[in-house]
Amino acid sequence: MRTAAVAPDAGTEEPQTPPRTSDRLPFWVNQRLGLLVLTIGLALLFGALRPAFFDARLVLFPLLRDISTLTVVALAQMVVLSVGHMNLAVGRMAAFGALFAGFGYDRLGLPLPLGLLLCLAAGAAIGALTGWIIARTGVGSFVVTLAMDFALLGLVSLAYSALTENAAFTSTPAGLDELRAYSLADICVGPVCGSPAIPQIAQFTVLALIALGFLYSCTRIGRELLLTGANPAAAELSGIPTKRRVVTAHALSGLLAALAGFMAAAGTGTFRASIGDDFMLPSFLGAVLGGTLLTGGVVSVVGALLGTSLVAVIRKGLDLLGVGLESLNIYLGCVLLLALSADRVRNVLSYRKVVRST
Amino acid sequence: MYYGTVLRRLGGAAVAAVLLSGAAACTVKNSDEPDEQRAAAARPGSGTAELADGSGTKVALVPGGAHPYFQPWKKTGADAEKTYGLGDVVVDETAEWDQQKQNNLLSTLAARGYNAFGVFGVSPTDINTTFSDLKSQGFAVASLGSCPAGPTNKADFCLSTDVELAAYKAAQASIDAMGREGTLVHLTGNNVDANTQLRIKGVEKAVQESGGKVKLLQTITDIDKDLQTAQKAVADLLAAKGQEIDGIVTTAYNPAVAAAEAVKNSGSRAKVVAIDDDAKILDSIKDGSVSATVVQNPAGQAEIGAWALALLQTEQCVMTTPGQVVDSGSFVVTKENVAGYDRDRQAKTDELKKQFADELLSCG
Repeated sequence: MRTAAVAPDAGTEEPQTPPRTSDRLPFWVNQRLGLLVLTIGLALLFGALRPAFFDARLVLFPLLRDISTLTVVALAQMVVLSVGHMNLAVGRMAAFGALFAGFGYDRLGLPLPLGLLLCLAAGAAIGALTGWIIARTGVGSFVVTLAMDFALLGLVSLAYSALTENAAFTSTPAGLDELRAYSLADICVGPVCGSPAIPQIAQFTVLALIALGFLYSCTRIGRELLLTGANPAAAELSGIPTKRRVVTAHALSGLLAALAGFMAAAGTGTFRASIGDDFMLPSFLGAVLGGTLLTGGVVSVVGALLGTSLVAVIRKGLDLLGVGLESLNIYLGCVLLLALSADRVRNVLSYRKVVRST
Repeated sequence: MYYGTVLRRLGGAAVAAVLLSGAAACTVKNSDEPDEQRAAAARPGSGTAELADGSGTKVALVPGGAHPYFQPWKKTGADAEKTYGLGDVVVDETAEWDQQKQNNLLSTLAARGYNAFGVFGVSPTDINTTFSDLKSQGFAVASLGSCPAGPTNKADFCLSTDVELAAYKAAQASIDAMGREGTLVHLTGNNVDANTQLRIKGVEKAVQESGGKVKLLQTITDIDKDLQTAQKAVADLLAAKGQEIDGIVTTAYNPAVAAAEAVKNSGSRAKVVAIDDDAKILDSIKDGSVSATVVQNPAGQAEIGAWALALLQTEQCVMTTPGQVVDSGSFVVTKENVAGYDRDRQAKTDELKKQFADELLSCG
């Protein structure tokens, strides 16, 4: 489900590579396949070392709940990366959306779905505003989203301080606790129930993945987003409303960030200002590991899921092995470096193979 | 075309794998099952609070994140393991102060075989959810060092500094040091944290009691992130309003260290009341540049926490009132009592143990 506005490997391959060469690359060069194999391999390795890794309730359920939320965060970043921009305010947009959901539940007494809609609308609106400022002023997305990050940091903190006693909306609507704690084991068809390892909250992630996969591979807007990212001048000359697409991408990013904020709030229990504090790095990590280019024009929807899964599996596995706090990040960095190097080695090997065969 | 087709197939396969893996037939439920039975089984009786056999109890003490406050937990935890013959006591923390990451760490520790948890919750408003999850899985849970926000505590008990009372004591000590009049500044931590709100309340209460003679000039929040942030904030404060300030009360660690240093170096007349007993702060108390410090009892929390958790985990005892909140003590230390305050603290720990054995636990 990697979609590119240009030849799939442009930008990552040797510049002399003829465009048609990429069509002849062997299947094992595929980055997503590599990530999938690596993630499954590591999961099996950790499982062999610590059989508790496959404990459905204590390990897999929280692991998949984490992956679900962080994949949506990575998708929020991926959407803006597709137009060659970045969103440094992804965490604050999550907090902004969660603020509206919390307000809706606490003060307006909204039911669960309506609060979620309010949250998504707020996220989309703040994202659209960011996109509009970028498109209108021509100032880089880095600067505008950084400024938006600061503005929202203050605004969200002020709002929580003014509206709540404990700096959090603690009243939650009916169904939120179930959304957090229930798995597919709670859905039964006759005597057959689902796996207790798959959290129900993952439904949002699956929906987001399917919707974005459809957007980028089957719709005109998706293609226009990618072309805007690949070459804005050429896209403009081709009649694509690039400014409108920039607003679209940022609105979509805000919406997904807000969804991630809602999922994070559901995961921990209350809607509070610190939601999304740690979203920015995982957002880039998941997207870029998955094959989305920082320069725009190429995205990988499934790659965002796989990239996020790889990082989460490594972290969980090291936690289970009892690797201390000081060493954990060093190991994590080393394994990620190896993962990315392996990808590069695969590409170089395949390139040589193709050159030899031509 | 072949490449694109393979990609699309792989993408579809991955999504399908996620969806299909849920279809495995199973009847185990993840949802919370209320764990009221154990509480209901409380049998107040003539049993003893002497731990019979703690070898099956593996206690995990989990701070909210890296912070000097938790240093005593490590030594005290190891001592408690030996003293009470526990299976294991580990102190494990996450790098970031993040509730989701703490939740993940707790479930991982549970998978590693730990069955009793002493937790300093990152988010006081969320931690009850975490406690409910742990309780529903049959673990003994204590909230150590910080209690959940609001009136409810879903852990077996909470053993923590009464933060509002500690802040009140600190503000009173500042006001006394100032000569009971003048302007006071309050330096503290993360504004969007329920405990910070309590600290602000405690200081405001002491200022109100002065009957208008003491004015709270400013409450500066969000400067406990690291020492540099605190140093910058204190330097800015002294540069801008140094002449007006008669007293500085700090209710967070980094601002306390920064204020002690800055006042000493700048020769400001402001009287500083710090928090905790960092070596720098104790030196400043001895040389008179800091008027007082409010010391907490983290070692007592770890020792009593590990012992009581073992009694609960082995089902030798139950809480008489589940969710009981207990103050672990806070002590005002000045130049006069700086040499002997640790004795007071140990006495408080012994008193806490007696209180648990006599009143809070029902052992049968």
